[in-house]
This record gives sequence, structure tokens and C-alpha cells, in this order.
Amino acid sequence: MGEVIVVTSGKGGVGKTTTSANLGAGLASAGSRVCLIDADIGLRNLDVVMGLENRIVYDLVDVTSGNCSFRKALIKDKRFDNLFLMPAAQTKDKTAVNPAQMEALCSEIKDDFDYVLIDCPAGIEQGFRNAIAGADQAVVVTTPEVSAVRDADRIIGLLEKEDLREPKLIVNRMRHQMVKHGDMMSIDDIIEILAIDLLGVVPEDELVVVSTNRGEMVVLNNNSKSGQAYRNIVRRIRGEDVPMMNLEDSGLFDKIRRIIGLK
Amino acid sequence: MVADWAGDNLVRLPGRGGREPEDMADDNTIMVQRTLRSGQSLQFEGNVVILGDVNPGAEVVATGNVVVMGSLRGVVHAGAEGDSSAAVYAFRLQPTQLRIANRITRAPDGEQSFSTTPEVARIRDGMVVIESFQTGPERQG
Repeated sequence: MGEVIVVTSGKGGVGKTTTSANLGAGLASAGSRVCLIDADIGLRNLDVVMGLENRIVYDLVDVTSGNCSFRKALIKDKRFDNLFLMPAAQTKDKTAVNPAQMEALCSEIKDDFDYVLIDCPAGIEQGFRNAIAGADQAVVVTTPEVSAVRDADRIIGLLEKEDLREPKLIVNRMRHQMVKHGDMMSIDDIIEILAIDLLGVVPEDELVVVSTNRGEMVVLNNNSKSGQAYRNIVRRIRGEDVPMMNLEDSGLFDKIRRIIGLK
Repeated sequence: MVADWAGDNLVRLPGRGGREPEDMADDNTIMVQRTLRSGQSLQFEGNVVILGDVNPGAEVVATGNVVVMGSLRGVVHAGAEGDSSAAVYAFRLQPTQLRIANRITRAPDGEQSFSTTPEVARIRDGMVVIESFQTGPERQG
């Protein structure tokens, strides 16, 4: 029986969908059977990010309202035979599904998969409650900004109230140069406030935008630093012990400084 | 779509198969004078004419024909109750997914057509085909 993991953040735009897609593809490329559920009804994006939009016939609301079986609504990824997407409905809203239905769906789906990842909508209203209803574990995504960390803190509190204890943290869009100059919160600052386990740090990377716009996943790009970060997170989810990546930017100046012994 | 009711040589519009053109006159047709945006859904028993675009994430479902006087980029379903003679017309036909009766089609992966001329999609020999739109009854087959 698989594990249901909800990817959530509270704040919008911090990278929940990107993280969900990359972790899903990463887990699938590592050999796990993975199902991604887009719980953002009315503002679905996961299908677009994965390049599967044109395959949608049935969606989550069709399944929860009994129009079709969940297997019929699942879309097989074009890259991996062991990666599936349950798309959200676009022409409905969050009230089309309730937490009890999501719980039933998750417990039905997880028998068929190793991992079920739920892409949670932003906010703390019904969409959030739907998304976490069937989850066994939670991953909180934040960026190194005061507002995102504040919202993450709120979310962690709500998760704990719903008995999703020990959520794991992913810090997205980290810019090491800015941290070094004191212009951005560091990982330590964030951990000090949120006091939860760190699952990984993903550096800011233009390649994420490029691949997202093409319906591809950066985790499959071996030449990208953010892809490496996602691959490390995937290995940690699968139970491996992977040391944190050194995000220290080894730019030209750093290299020169190291060579001439200034560092 | 103007048919000369008095003439003998009436235009046989696709979308109603072998039926007489007069039957079309009884069908409902609505005109929608706006752009359908993501999340908006238009469902209608009859023909739909949209004077605007259909954006990705929007859907149009009609039991008859669908005409889009603009770009069709969303999901469209013509002949939704099984009329396989229904057709989809658009100035720029680039749907996310195109359905006619019980057929579902989409553009092949990584391939995008950028036709700038009006096109029509309909079922021929059991397959959805897309052709450039030509006026005139004899070309409408």
C-alpha cells in the first residue's frame, strides 16, 4: 500500500505545482509507481506543467461524483509508464468536492501506487481541507521570503491540528548569493522559525521556467542544479540518506579566489 | 449560413447529415458575443456560434455544430449527443482537444499547426479530419 503525500504551502506562487510535478517524475524515474492528484479545482495547472492538458477527458470531480471510476480518469504520462495524473476539473470550484470524498478516493487509489502526491491549492479554505483529507504525510513548500514563511508556519499549525504531524520542509527558489549578502533569509533562519525537518533546498533556476513552459520536468535534466536538488529530495523520500547539496555558488570569482588562496 | 429557401438547389450544410436543409431552420442556434476564458463552459442543445475566442481551459459542448469566429484553443465537442455529422469551424483551429460525437482527438505531441486560414473539422470515413474551409456547396461535401 502506498503513501499519500500532500504538497502544500499556504501562499500561492511558491512552487507547489512545480514541486509536485518534479517529485512525481523523479519518483517515477527512480522506479516507483506514482499517482499525482491535482486538487486545485477551478485553477488546475499540474496538467499544463506536465504537458498532459490535451489528454484530459474525465477529471477529479467526475470521479468523486461517481461519473466514472478513478482508473478511467487517470492519465498516463508520456515519459513514464508508471506515472499517472488525476486532473482537477477546471469548470467547477472547490465546493464540488468534500473532504470525505477525497479521503475515500485516496484510500482507494493508494492500493495501486507506491506514492500518491496531492498538489494542494493555495489558501486555507475548503480546497486545502480537501487536499489534506486523505494524506498520510505532508510536504510544506516555502520560499525564503518573510510572507511565504509566515504562511508556511500557519499551514504547519493547521496540518498538526489535522493530525498530519511532522511535515517536511522544502525551501524553493533559494539564491545563495543573496543570502551571502544578507539580502535573503538563510535556511537556518527559516528552520529556526518553522522548526520542522528539512527535506531539501531547491536553488533558483531559470531552467525551471523553461521546462515548465514546455511541459517538461527539470528533474529529468541532468545538467541543472535544481534538477539535482529535486533528485536528492526524491532519494530522501525513498528513504535514502542523502547529504544536503552544497549550494555555494562556485562561480568564476570563487574559483579564482580559491586558486589564489583567498578562501 | 444563409440558405435560399425558395431555390431548388439548397445548400446542404454539414452537421445534419442527410436531413433536409429545412430541418436546420428548426434547430436552435445561439450566438455568443464574447471570448470564453479558462474555466468557462458553454453547453447548448443545438448549434453554437462564438464571436470571439475560446481560450485554453474553456470548453464548448454543443449537440450540433460549433463555429468560432476567432481562435479556438480550448476543448470543443460538437455533436455531443452522438451526431457524427456535426462539424467544428474556426478562423484559427488550434484546440487543446477536439471531440465530434464519440470521437476524441488531439494534436500529436510536439506538433503545432499554425494555420492562419479558417478550417473545419468533421468526421470522414470514421476519422476526424481537418480541412481548410472553402465556401461553396460543392466543396462542402
